Amino acid sequence: MNWQIHLPALVLAIPLLGAFASPIAGLGGRTVRNGWMAFISITTTAVCLLLLQKVLVDGTAVYVMGAENWNFTLPSGLSWPIRIILQVDAFSAFMAAVGSIAALAGAFFSLSYMDKFTGLEKFSALYFLLVTGMLGMQLTGDLFNFFVFLEIASVASFGLIAFWRDRPEAVEASFKYMIISTLSAMFILIAIGFLYGRYNAVNIAAVARMLHMGYAEKIALVFLVVSLTMKSGAVPMHMWTPDAYAEAPAGVTCLLVGVSQASLYGLFRVCFSLYGSSLGSPVIPWTIIVMGVLSMFIGVTMAVIQKEIKRLMAYHSVSQIGYILLALGVGLLALRDPQAMADYGFTAMKGGIFHIINYTMYKGLLFLTAGALYYSAGSRNLNELGGLARVMPYTTLMFVIAAAAIAGIPPFNGFVSKLLIYQSTFAVYPLLAVVALVTSVLTLASFVKVFQTAFLGPAKSKFAKVTEVPGSMLIGMSILTVVIIVLTLFPTWTLAHLVEPAAKALVDQAGYISAVMGGGL
Amino acid sequence: MWAKVYSGFGYWDVYIWLLFFGITSALVLWVRSLGRDDYKEGTEQDEIFYGSNEVPEDGDDMGVPAASAYWGFVKALKPYYDSLIEIHSGIASDYVGYFVLTVAVLAVLVLL
Repeated sequence: MNWQIHLPALVLAIPLLGAFASPIAGLGGRTVRNGWMAFISITTTAVCLLLLQKVLVDGTAVYVMGAENWNFTLPSGLSWPIRIILQVDAFSAFMAAVGSIAALAGAFFSLSYMDKFTGLEKFSALYFLLVTGMLGMQLTGDLFNFFVFLEIASVASFGLIAFWRDRPEAVEASFKYMIISTLSAMFILIAIGFLYGRYNAVNIAAVARMLHMGYAEKIALVFLVVSLTMKSGAVPMHMWTPDAYAEAPAGVTCLLVGVSQASLYGLFRVCFSLYGSSLGSPVIPWTIIVMGVLSMFIGVTMAVIQKEIKRLMAYHSVSQIGYILLALGVGLLALRDPQAMADYGFTAMKGGIFHIINYTMYKGLLFLTAGALYYSAGSRNLNELGGLARVMPYTTLMFVIAAAAIAGIPPFNGFVSKLLIYQSTFAVYPLLAVVALVTSVLTLASFVKVFQTAFLGPAKSKFAKVTEVPGSMLIGMSILTVVIIVLTLFPTWTLAHLVEPAAKALVDQAGYISAVMGGGL
Repeated sequence: MWAKVYSGFGYWDVYIWLLFFGITSALVLWVRSLGRDDYKEGTEQDEIFYGSNEVPEDGDDMGVPAASAYWGFVKALKPYYDSLIEIHSGIASDYVGYFVLTVAVLAVLVLL
């Protein structure tokens, strides 16, 4: 039997094993615990990349849990699926690969970053539970399981954000996130209840095949859209992000960037694959576009005035999520019009999906460099930092690469995805592209401020003993730097082999439905 | 792999950009090489010009803090920033309020 058919299950089983065996690994001391964390992270990433390669070659992978046959989606005599089904198309596999790379970088960074703290077996257990939740949200083909994985990810993030529980700010950030996250989870559960009540199914493909817009479906759509945009950090429900991203340990913040993408994945899976052509009116696409524009502008203008480096970067996260919402909102707007899709919709979707990987890599790297500054200089306050480029040359170099990429400076990868977004959104409404361009300028201004105040300037006597961060933290940052450079130098390859298949899978609602409803055979 | 990225409205070629960057860098270095060669490190030529004032010993006393960056921009947009900061109250019940309000507004728009 070809073991690769089990890749979708392995993607979830490996980090789950990592989580539950962490306390046992912790008994072996620091070396065993660190080795376990590195091993599980590397294996999870490798399996995700293998799954991506398999899906790109063979097409959508379907994996039925508990069936006598792994691809037996429709049991005899039934016309809808009843078991837990993992459904991995090019978009799911792409998102899982992106998330797993962020998790790998965050794990390596955390090995040294967290070394001076106690309770690290709990840290690694929660870290891998968060990874499992994130990957589960991206691979499941089932609405209720999406909710379950969302909750696994949420509960793990509450613990990780409040990991430094002696800091009142960390506990407060976690508590606020818990309140808003639990509320949104309840709305998602109610939405799933509406759909289950109407169609007697929770499988996305099965519901999508039967879905007709009525009041229940519309209310479910509203609940899902608002909850998932909140979880991804979109304006006006973004207020939890600066608190949570700033207070979580840096390696966790890097992973949280990937987890926010899992919520975006859920949003677009709901809009494109579950509702798709049934969406009807342009209210939802325009809502997503408006949220995107507001997120871009409000996020970046709030970032400009921040003095705490991680809060500044967290507001930039809100801003970058805005680009992705704008681009995929435009794609959704063009979904029912083949001419519009050919003219600008598909370009916008390519730009948006390319921006997902770009954003995860450079934003993850920026949070890690902020963590490196905190680790070495003991401060996140930009008013106190300064002159650190002399003593932290590698961190400085990687910060410059990430800052240039997020600001969309050519030739970096951020420029390519933003170019696609500017040009395609201009075709819909020129003001959208203008706001996106202004946001990019303000992003550059904001990171020039960080670079000038933290890295440049005269040496400060209080930082006389500061040195470069340990090797494992540099490895964590280097992983993301290498990916950014590869994406920068090979944008055509990335677009053709990773982004376009993902965009095609997302717009192909019929293909998504038939992968399960065709029996999987 | 090496081809241009076509957006439907234009194209982007990273290698032409890198070539341009390389040529420009070479030109800059060439112009720099034409400059004066009597510079000596460690002499008074090295001294910082600090507005005719004495240069402070510690960098802490001469840096521009982040709080002062873009003060003109922030001052010009003061009404906008005042309202924006007011919205970001940090109170959890406000977060819930914005969430519920968004649900309500979107529900009205979708159901109507």
